[in-house]
Amino acid sequence: MNVSDLSAPPRGQGVLIPLLLALLVFVGLPALLAGFDRGYFYQIANLALIFVLLSASMHLVTGVAGLLHLGHAAFYGVGAYTAALLSTKFGLGFTATLPLSGLVAALIAFLVALPTMRLVSIYFAVATLAIGQMLYLVMLNWVELTKGPNGIIVTKGLELFGFSLSGRLATYYTVAAVVTLCVLAIGRLSHSYYGNALRSIREDDQCADAMGVSTARLKMEAFTLSAFFAGVAGSLWAHMTGYISPGDFKFSESILILAMVVVGGLGSLPGAVIGALLLILLPEGLRAFGDFRNIMVGLVMFLSILLLPKGLLGEVSALQLARRQLGAAWRNTVKGEGIGWR
Amino acid sequence: MIDPYYLQQLAIGLSLGMTYALMAIGFTLIFGVLNVVNFAHGEVYTLGAFAGLVLISATAPPVFAVIFAALAIGALAGFSLERVAFKPFRRFTDEASLKSRAMRESTLLSSLAVSIVVREALEIVFGSQMRSVPFEYLINTPVRVGPVILVTGDFIIFGVAAAMLAGLQYLLTRTRIGLSIRAVSNNPLGAKYVGIDTDRTIIMTFVVGSMMGAAAGILTGLYYGAIFPAMGFVPGIKAFVAMVMGGLSSIPGAVICALILGISESMATTFVSSGWSDMVAYGFLILTLIFFPNGLFGARRERV
Amino acid sequence: MTHLLDIRNVSRRFGGVLAVNDVTGHVDEGELVGLIGPNGAGKTTLFNLISGFTPLSSGTVSFDGKTISGLKTNQVARLGISRTFQNLRVFPNMSVFDNVSVGAVGALPQGALGALFGSFAGGGARSAEISRRTWEALEAVGLTHVAGELAANLPYGQRKYLEIARALAMQPRFLILDEPAAGLNDTETRALADFIKRLHGTGLTIMLVEHDMTLVMSICQRILVLASGRKIADGPPDAIRRDPAVLEAYLGVDA
Repeated sequence: MNVSDLSAPPRGQGVLIPLLLALLVFVGLPALLAGFDRGYFYQIANLALIFVLLSASMHLVTGVAGLLHLGHAAFYGVGAYTAALLSTKFGLGFTATLPLSGLVAALIAFLVALPTMRLVSIYFAVATLAIGQMLYLVMLNWVELTKGPNGIIVTKGLELFGFSLSGRLATYYTVAAVVTLCVLAIGRLSHSYYGNALRSIREDDQCADAMGVSTARLKMEAFTLSAFFAGVAGSLWAHMTGYISPGDFKFSESILILAMVVVGGLGSLPGAVIGALLLILLPEGLRAFGDFRNIMVGLVMFLSILLLPKGLLGEVSALQLARRQLGAAWRNTVKGEGIGWR
Repeated sequence: MIDPYYLQQLAIGLSLGMTYALMAIGFTLIFGVLNVVNFAHGEVYTLGAFAGLVLISATAPPVFAVIFAALAIGALAGFSLERVAFKPFRRFTDEASLKSRAMRESTLLSSLAVSIVVREALEIVFGSQMRSVPFEYLINTPVRVGPVILVTGDFIIFGVAAAMLAGLQYLLTRTRIGLSIRAVSNNPLGAKYVGIDTDRTIIMTFVVGSMMGAAAGILTGLYYGAIFPAMGFVPGIKAFVAMVMGGLSSIPGAVICALILGISESMATTFVSSGWSDMVAYGFLILTLIFFPNGLFGARRERV
Repeated sequence: MTHLLDIRNVSRRFGGVLAVNDVTGHVDEGELVGLIGPNGAGKTTLFNLISGFTPLSSGTVSFDGKTISGLKTNQVARLGISRTFQNLRVFPNMSVFDNVSVGAVGALPQGALGALFGSFAGGGARSAEISRRTWEALEAVGLTHVAGELAANLPYGQRKYLEIARALAMQPRFLILDEPAAGLNDTETRALADFIKRLHGTGLTIMLVEHDMTLVMSICQRILVLASGRKIADGPPDAIRRDPAVLEAYLGVDA
């Protein structure tokens, strides 16, 4: 990329791709889904969207801040269990559980992060694995609260301030809207100076420290924020499927999410989204040949590490793309006044 | 007088701890030469168990033949694992890239991916359910020692593990290959300059480490009588915990911590239901990482 | 009068080795000071003690009247001490602009909420200030034309300036350059010397840690000399050049 790429691109180009994507998610896909009108397709679409959010939230901590997170699914689970328990025990609806699930997941992440955030690299990865497994054991064994392996049936469907959104199409739209908003927020976080500070930790944490970046605090924030978004995804999942059990949040799910981020390209948000779609839709498409979902996750992950070390859409190319598309936010005039992220 | 119940739990804990120790040594050896964590080590354990099971179902060999089959498959698994998941990422052989962060993280991910593929392949071939070991191979014939009732398995595990530890000690201190493993652990570049074949040494490390892991797998399988594709995951984590507690590159440290872990777990089942007993290992891990960043046995620790 | 940087009886022990042994010294506002010494003299350790990388064994370091020994590295940095690294530590997978912006965002932290709601909650002004500082620093070192380039793709010499730009983007009051001339040829070293002089001309206080005397002798106003962890001389270049203790430390001659 040279400076001519940096200078402000034509506005029209900047909105084209987001507009097309929005049309696809909010008009094209729903039309297709309504056309086929099969519950299974709605399920897949919603599942894919939820994993897009999970993958995007892991992108924040693993891709941007460079912290290998091996327990992400547990925070997804914390969100789902929060939503399920609030709704079955206190009769709260989706409108209330959505933010609360995120907050509870974030709070737990914050608490476990307090002592572990100064760990680096593999120790951090292993600590997150242990934390994830501990939370999983709680879901599995604290039978009085979580009903253990039997899981919880969530009777309340999606609603917004009392308006039921439990029809197939309405459910899809709700999931799509929440996921889109969250992904936009994550995009904004990672494409900002805040995001640059997180990236500097990934690149060289000691050096970032010497530049005045409070690395321990930022790591904690990235970890907590990503847990917040995972919790939101959990709440969507609980209300959407109506039944959750610990098996949905075990280690292999954490690895699935990690694989999405790795396959898409560490550090690249579009990559994380593509990775999620790929790893959800591909095994579903091949379901006719047997249940090879997990083995495919492993194979795709291995091949992408081996053959595409930068992922399908590596960070550098993704950043160029983002800058072209977000022309309004990334601008640079002749004198350099106002260059950078707004 | 101690309640015989506790002595019995102690014996069970020691057996458990010994299997963790065998696995932990594999982690420690590999970490020593490459500074990487081998996430597929748990699958080597599973493969060892399945190798034994297949042999048992095919013919009806004596127990020691089953163990040898597991060792052979372990060696083969270690070799292939190194070639598939580690070698391709070792593009340069200077020390900086041998122990670089990029190499550590990509091999962590690649071994993780390989472990998924192996586990799922086993599920496709053998099904995800537990397969039980034929009754006559179970090593749980009760043996009465004073007030305590042990099973033959406790003795077999202890015997096999002790023999393997002695063998490892001999290998590391008395043979050329052991010498080169220790040399590469200490200083890969120096070892290369004095003419040690680093690549071969790394393969040998994987082979030796994986043989111990596979032995742990078949012993546990025969002890509990249940063999299934996901069986390696939890022991793998526990062995890893033992390695971290032991200070990463110390074999005696790893063995002692594995025994501590095994005993604490079997004691814990006295007070909490067995579902929670895994918490002990995770708790130990977090506490060690936070309070003893150099491990309980204070070996040197690099920024990894 | 208080010094900008005041080092008092500072020591650092590594096991049985006293890497820095009871060093006292100071840097005044607006000075360009050199810190030299033969290999292993403790220059880098002293420097790490100042910037909070390594904790002190004893003594105090104060900056602008405030004690900074015991603070974390990033706190020291936010007080206005910025540094470059001897072994080039740019962020390779980030663009030149983003690299430099880390310095600016380090000095002017932007929170997650600021990044999210920047345009609404006044965070926009901070972002604009960060990009202004970034751009100024890039202009100061003359790297604006490669602002969008990946740092890893820059040639060695430019990466040196990139590090300096990143340190400048913090708008520090005190800049420490750790062996900036290492790996540069004579022409490049001369250009660097001119550049440092120009930086100093803008009123910035600079400390130059160097192994090689030539650069330091040619531009510094005052030079501190360390040998075996002790300060053996402190004075203007001419005096240092004639100082028998320095000659002995460097050349091993009995003067």
